[in-house]
Amino acid sequence: MVTDNDLVKHLSEAQVSVELQTEDMTLNIGPQHPSTHGVLRLVARVSGERCFDVKPVIGYMHRGYEKLSEVRTYPQITALINRIDWVSGYANEIPFIVAAEKLMDVEVPERAQYIRVILTEMARVSSHLVFMASYPLELGAATPLFFALRDRERVLDLIEGVTGGRFHPNFNRIGGVKPNAGSGPITKKTPQDLPAGFLGETRDAMSVVLDTCEEIEDLVAGNEIFRARTKGIGVLPPEVGAAFGVSGPNLRASGVKFDLRKVEDYLPYNKFDFDVVVGENGDCWDRWWVRLEEIRESAKIIQQAVDGIPPSGPLQAKVPKVIKVPKGETYVRAENPKGEMGYYIVSDGGPGPYRLKIRSASFSNISILSWILEGVLVPDIIAIMGSLDFVLGDVDR
Amino acid sequence: MTQFITDLFSNFWVSLAGKLLLVATMVPVIGMLLGFAEMKLSAKMQSRVGPYFAGGRWGWAQLIADGVKFFQKEDLIPEDADRPVFKAAPILVLVGTVSLFLVIPFGPGLIFQDLSVGIFYALAISSIGTIGVLMAGWSSANKYSLMGGLRAAGQLIAYELPLVLAVVGSVIMAGTMSMTGIVEAQISAGFPFVLVQFIGFGIFMIAALAELSRIPFDMPIAESELVMGYVTEYSGFRFLFFFLAEFANMFTMSAIAATLFLGGYWLPFVPESTLEFTGPLILIGKVFLLTFTMIWFRWTFPRFREDQLQTLAWKVLIPLALANIAITATLKVVL
Amino acid sequence: MTSSPSDTEAAVHRLQEFADSAAEAVGGEAEVQFDTIKLRVSADKWVDALTTARDDLDLVFFSWLSAIDWANDVEAGDPLKEEIEERIELLCTVCDLTEGRRVTFSTDLPTEKPSVASIVEVYVGANWHEREAAEMFGITFEGHPDPGPLYLPESFLGNPLKKSYPLLSREVKPWPGTVDVEAMPEKASTENPEA
Repeated sequence: MVTDNDLVKHLSEAQVSVELQTEDMTLNIGPQHPSTHGVLRLVARVSGERCFDVKPVIGYMHRGYEKLSEVRTYPQITALINRIDWVSGYANEIPFIVAAEKLMDVEVPERAQYIRVILTEMARVSSHLVFMASYPLELGAATPLFFALRDRERVLDLIEGVTGGRFHPNFNRIGGVKPNAGSGPITKKTPQDLPAGFLGETRDAMSVVLDTCEEIEDLVAGNEIFRARTKGIGVLPPEVGAAFGVSGPNLRASGVKFDLRKVEDYLPYNKFDFDVVVGENGDCWDRWWVRLEEIRESAKIIQQAVDGIPPSGPLQAKVPKVIKVPKGETYVRAENPKGEMGYYIVSDGGPGPYRLKIRSASFSNISILSWILEGVLVPDIIAIMGSLDFVLGDVDR
Repeated sequence: MTQFITDLFSNFWVSLAGKLLLVATMVPVIGMLLGFAEMKLSAKMQSRVGPYFAGGRWGWAQLIADGVKFFQKEDLIPEDADRPVFKAAPILVLVGTVSLFLVIPFGPGLIFQDLSVGIFYALAISSIGTIGVLMAGWSSANKYSLMGGLRAAGQLIAYELPLVLAVVGSVIMAGTMSMTGIVEAQISAGFPFVLVQFIGFGIFMIAALAELSRIPFDMPIAESELVMGYVTEYSGFRFLFFFLAEFANMFTMSAIAATLFLGGYWLPFVPESTLEFTGPLILIGKVFLLTFTMIWFRWTFPRFREDQLQTLAWKVLIPLALANIAITATLKVVL
Repeated sequence: MTSSPSDTEAAVHRLQEFADSAAEAVGGEAEVQFDTIKLRVSADKWVDALTTARDDLDLVFFSWLSAIDWANDVEAGDPLKEEIEERIELLCTVCDLTEGRRVTFSTDLPTEKPSVASIVEVYVGANWHEREAAEMFGITFEGHPDPGPLYLPESFLGNPLKKSYPLLSREVKPWPGTVDVEAMPEKASTENPEA
């Protein structure tokens, strides 16, 4: 029988545990989310606002480019690969075309190369302007979006004027660029290359772009809140970045002075005078700032190219009508806006490649996510992911 | 005829009904007007046009169209949601806002109810909105809403203190907590209190932005991270309540700031006899200036992170506000 | 391509020199074609070769890792012109960050049950690339910390990038496909365009 004494003794010995058992919450960020640049899914274990463990899940947009290119001819592949990194459409084609031209030992005429440089740098300006637009939006500032995209429209209009497409130009041909603007009765007789007035309009557009850079720098760079949200957040040491394969502005923001445009010879960048922009700490602020400065450098390159372009010349070298690339293997890489993009072509002498390996920049760029997002706060996840500037098409190919 | 109307409204119940009707019409109208102002002003700042087609070239009917759209939407309640709490949350938020209208002095006698503890009542009743937000976040059965609700709890409670402390300076200078009394104190002093209480005014505006969950303090909503924060699962007219509550709250907070610091319905060079007619216009002009600033801030700044928010409130604003009170009290006794 | 012939010759010469020194350091055979250095090593020396590359040759940047399925029968696409020995060739490109030198290491694995040691300890970035190679080619990487499909859903069967994997669209329409473009109407204004 339980007496009162027993009960009192029991109660006095009872251990009152005041520690509440809290559990971590597993939060699924994506695949449908305003800030994941596409269908990226992050499975995050969060406790309050701090996240312990982030696992990215990719592949929601895997389109099987490498398998597809095994059943396509080389000109057909150029139509496909624009769509890998759809923000900078033209730049995706360049390493592939250069690789094929290397295997075929074809010399590209100079005017075509200048046009390629102009369009590639325009693609870079366009891609970085999208970053300028979307990154402050993820942090909450809605206005730079409109300024950057308004002036990106000018650049896209120029690209469309030359190539016919804003995002997917499909303008490269093996041996140069597309020689004829059309095949109607008038255009067949007068092969046109650049539309009339293109060079003057490009100069105007680049000065407008430089003004926009000033505007965005005023609006965003001096903002105390922006600095507080990005300085010191998501620091990427250069050795870790190199081991993961991070390339492009992300690695340059960590202090590594390495730009494929200076090192590789896929396009005649040695004729132009531009600086390689390097950051200091490798945090989100540096990654933002490096891309802003790269827009300015690209505008410089475009202006020099427009001034120096040979006034006339063939647009495509003589290549046979049915392209058959001789046997061989080569790897060509280029400095894409997102990073290093490369194509490894294994050719067997047929109309299409035996194997095409696409090294896309964003795939390696976001493989650091589980390393860099350990122990950060939830708003910082968005800030860091945004600063890496990736595109899901590039990640998932 | 006028005698008949005066007699009619001297009846308590009739005047009560009249006041309720007036408030009930004012809240949606003000909400819509401010929403429209935000759309057009933000468009101008972003080199766009804003609403253009609804109702002719000005797009003035855009908010009316939005209101009708929200009303005719399907009322979705998530299956796992806590139904009574889910339904009650927007009502609480709206009640917290609407009750503030009672103590705004539009003119010398034009106040719904001149409570002797006007400002105290206003600050107390605006906290009811906090509970509504927490209820919305919890009952939505959605992890994003939960995170938004928790962030809101932390933020709204943290910024109540600077809000209250900033007001105390003005109350000390006026010597009364009644809203009309504060305006009359400014009239008799001859200058609006902001000239002396500028710290208090600054702190009040910052804390008011935080109470409204507007950028730069919109962590609870944080559109780019939490989809829509605690409002994620709300659709249709329930969302309309939140939406209207935000804009109506902008009006009331600005009106309180205008009354306490900027002189309310009084301007120095306007003769006092005309204040019954010009007073509401003057007050609305001041409110417009303040809401314009709030809209301007929203579209310029990114948002603070939660810990930076809390640091700002606890380590910067509260000590400043306390210092402000100390200095005001000392000077009031000395001078 | 964009520099003078003597520059190109000097560059090619430097490339060959570097390839030879790398091959000696690692213990493999170097082959330079079309500006690309390919270093063949044997499968059991795979990890050691890459460790030497990282430490001695200063190739600290991990570029990519993938494979080629050399097979005589292909389900989709053109078969090889000559019969070759069937194997899966594993490729890994690593570069340096000062002069832009790059070396593609290559090793041969048997087509049935290919397996090799994982290089995640040497280059952290190989993690995802190895997962992709594993699911696309069926290669087993021993010692990989987190194996599992990367792109493909859990329920996917087969290894898509192997030459024996059929493409559904090519079952329906055989390679190289049919030409099914309609001719342009001669006089657009007078004739009705064909439906």
